[in-house]
Amino acid sequence: MMNTKCRVVAFTTLVALGATTAAVAEPITVYTPQGEERGIWITEQAAAAGHEIEILSAGGGELFDRILAEKANPQADVVFGLIDAAMASLKTESMFQAYEPAWAQGLPAVYRDDVDNMVYKFWQTPIVLAYNADAMDAAGAPTSWLDLTKPEFSGKYVIGSSAWQTTKSYLVGILVRFADENGDISDEGWTFMQDLYDNAIVVESGDAKTAAFVNGDAVIDLNWFGGVGRQAADVGYTATIVDTEGGTPFISEGIAIIDGTDQLDAAKAFVDWFGSPEFMIAYAEEFGQVPVHPEAVAGSPMEVQANATLVSPQDIDWDDVAPKIDGWMQRIELEIK
Amino acid sequence: MTGLQFQKGLYYIGIALILWVAVSFIVAPIYSVLTQAFVDGSGLNFGAAQELAASGRVSNAIRNTLIVSALSVLTVNIIGIFEVAALEYLDIKGRRFLKFAYAMPLIFGSVVAATGYNFTYGQTGVVTRAIQSIFPALPNDWFSGVFAVVVAHTFLLTSFHYLFLRAAIRRVDYSVIEAARSLGASNLRAFRSVVLPLLLPTIFAASLLVTYESLGSFAIPAVVGGQRFDMIAELILTLNSLRRPDMAAMLSVLLGVAVILCVLLLQRIEKRGSYSGGAKTPVAIQRIRLSNPVTNTLTHGFAYLIAALQLLPVALVVLFSFAPAKSIMSEVIPSSLSLKNYAAVLSGGEAFTPLKNSLFMGGTAVAMALLVSLFVVILANRHRNKLTTALDLTFMLPWTLPVPFIAIGLIVTFATPNLLIGNQTLLGSYWILPIGYAIVVIPLMIRFLRAAFYALDPFQLEAAQALGAPPLYRFMRVTLPAIAPIIVLVAGLNINTILSEYTMSAFLFNVNNKPLSIALFEGARSANPEQAAINLVYMTLIMVFSYVIISIADRYGLGKSSGR
Repeated sequence: MMNTKCRVVAFTTLVALGATTAAVAEPITVYTPQGEERGIWITEQAAAAGHEIEILSAGGGELFDRILAEKANPQADVVFGLIDAAMASLKTESMFQAYEPAWAQGLPAVYRDDVDNMVYKFWQTPIVLAYNADAMDAAGAPTSWLDLTKPEFSGKYVIGSSAWQTTKSYLVGILVRFADENGDISDEGWTFMQDLYDNAIVVESGDAKTAAFVNGDAVIDLNWFGGVGRQAADVGYTATIVDTEGGTPFISEGIAIIDGTDQLDAAKAFVDWFGSPEFMIAYAEEFGQVPVHPEAVAGSPMEVQANATLVSPQDIDWDDVAPKIDGWMQRIELEIK
Repeated sequence: MTGLQFQKGLYYIGIALILWVAVSFIVAPIYSVLTQAFVDGSGLNFGAAQELAASGRVSNAIRNTLIVSALSVLTVNIIGIFEVAALEYLDIKGRRFLKFAYAMPLIFGSVVAATGYNFTYGQTGVVTRAIQSIFPALPNDWFSGVFAVVVAHTFLLTSFHYLFLRAAIRRVDYSVIEAARSLGASNLRAFRSVVLPLLLPTIFAASLLVTYESLGSFAIPAVVGGQRFDMIAELILTLNSLRRPDMAAMLSVLLGVAVILCVLLLQRIEKRGSYSGGAKTPVAIQRIRLSNPVTNTLTHGFAYLIAALQLLPVALVVLFSFAPAKSIMSEVIPSSLSLKNYAAVLSGGEAFTPLKNSLFMGGTAVAMALLVSLFVVILANRHRNKLTTALDLTFMLPWTLPVPFIAIGLIVTFATPNLLIGNQTLLGSYWILPIGYAIVVIPLMIRFLRAAFYALDPFQLEAAQALGAPPLYRFMRVTLPAIAPIIVLVAGLNINTILSEYTMSAFLFNVNNKPLSIALFEGARSANPEQAAINLVYMTLIMVFSYVIISIADRYGLGKSSGR
């Protein structure tokens, strides 16, 4: 008797909940490289704003492959946090559903998608060259990405897996310096790339990278902006970021709705909320991430605004290079590594 | 009679299903690999081969694979023949201990052994730290590249010698050895010129199996090979992740041709018969006591040294699985022991997931494979015609093909909606991996079940038939109970194989079904001691499981199966 009664109560509660917010029925599935504490925090904030989401987090490259593999049978409703080139490739594969978020107004044109209305950018991150200031002084540190092949930096920096978004971005940043007017890389560029790998510690896992810094072999960190500080804190050293000659590649992260989602309205509502200046400011306050929406930048803490101008950007047209990246990475993997 | 008709209907549905399985999951994937490799939109195309030839990394991988295979055959034979001689030809004290130690590769293989060697000799390995405390100059990565892979192969691939060569030497007629010795031959000479020639066919067969395993070696080079060292199997995976399935397919065809050559040679040797030297009623071999004290001491020393090297990684893994995570990367002998790591894995948290995944996928794969294999064997038993022979051969095909070949086939076939499976996409789904496992274990199952059927008493079945029992009833009441023990054992042996299966797993796993072998591999590269502790527990559990299954199988005379 008790059991039945309990069940009836539970059932009515569920119905009541379902009636108040439709989103409770089934959370939308979000793919993003933002995992662990960041992922949990985003999920909590979203829930507080009335968006039930379930995050599936993995490396950027892995998520990219997964979305492509699931093309016929999409599992995700929204993807965010993949970088320019990856989002551009997914768009070419017709993975996205068009939707212009409420916050697209006021967004600088480079971060909008006025042609297809599919991918909108919300964060930007420089991929920087930093060094362990406890083990190297400013005079001895490289001043440009092109310095890395010098003998004095042999075995002092780590190149991670080319499947990582960060690695891919700075490799592209280096290669485009050697591009001709058609966007093809000169022989000199490929020779440089060979030297860059020969002079480096090459690893395939994040742990192996950390280990190289722990045992003191590596002192120069090629990393995304937030990763530099995180690694320095984990290993226990002071990191100094170099404003390199020739500029630093900037990447921005986008959000899009997956084509074929069965929860289009919930997905649209989530996208509107996520990219809004209010949430972007909250995220900047929590994690120090630099937003791209001018209102969000203006509302961010001062040090975040300062970080935004720490290094000068390298001019890269990601839409132009996106179709070439697979071929370049293949050449690096098969002929250089 | 409607019951009989129903059974007949069921039987034809079964045949249709089996044909569908064969076409969808064996023929179609093989066809896909070949078309990927050689055909593009405009017809025959060798572009993938040209690109492969141009790649420095590919030629390095091919060279590494050939060097490793050639060296492995040599070193495995040296150690393997010595082990067999020490156990069966010479009188060495502590034979039972040696036998135990030399049997280690039977339970310590694939990714388990690879991570075990890494734990012992790798960058932060116990032995590496122990040596560094005496010789600080030893580089962290001393155990890497060709050297490390060949050393690991040398000890781990002796399982074929342990299983087959020991059986062969026992068949040697002792009177022949005695005759040689009475003619004045020394022990060594008698071994070299009388025993060894009799063993040559078996040695050759074991060498081919070693070549076969070395050519397709994946887990060992991936874990202990170190940075910028590849062998072919790994590179096929890399090519696939670079979204060049055509190049991956081409390289798997190359590997496939090499492996098929090995298999064909092996079959010729098997046909010629390896029993030529065996007497019909051999006089059991008497183990020879070495009379020269120096030779005797040296031989004992060498025998124990090999035993120690075989046991060391296993012992360290088991010992440290009881050690606190803190001591794993810092101590040479743990200062305290507890069951905490086991509790962490078995309490059902995150660390339990890969174990659960592998057990579940292993169980379902084996169940699917058993159904298919049973039906194929029954069919071949009842009707001997072209169709059943073709079916039989089709299901045996995966045995002659390297695993990366089959994996690439499944990926290419099921990356897009495929009509064969109701326009579904399998890539990225949970089920693609258990299906892959099933394909790989079916050939061995068919072999065992066929043997079990041959051993059935035909009179019982005839009696049942004479008494009017319908086919399904005969199968359920007579055949099945008779072969049930074999089925249980074969299931156990194959779940055991799947628990540490690495190659298929690496190609087909995804975040929903990450299996034990992949967790082990990732754990081996992790600098986190908690992860290392969990890894050691996984490895110990797999070894215990293997030990139990193989001991039971051995008692039933099925021990040979563990060779593959």
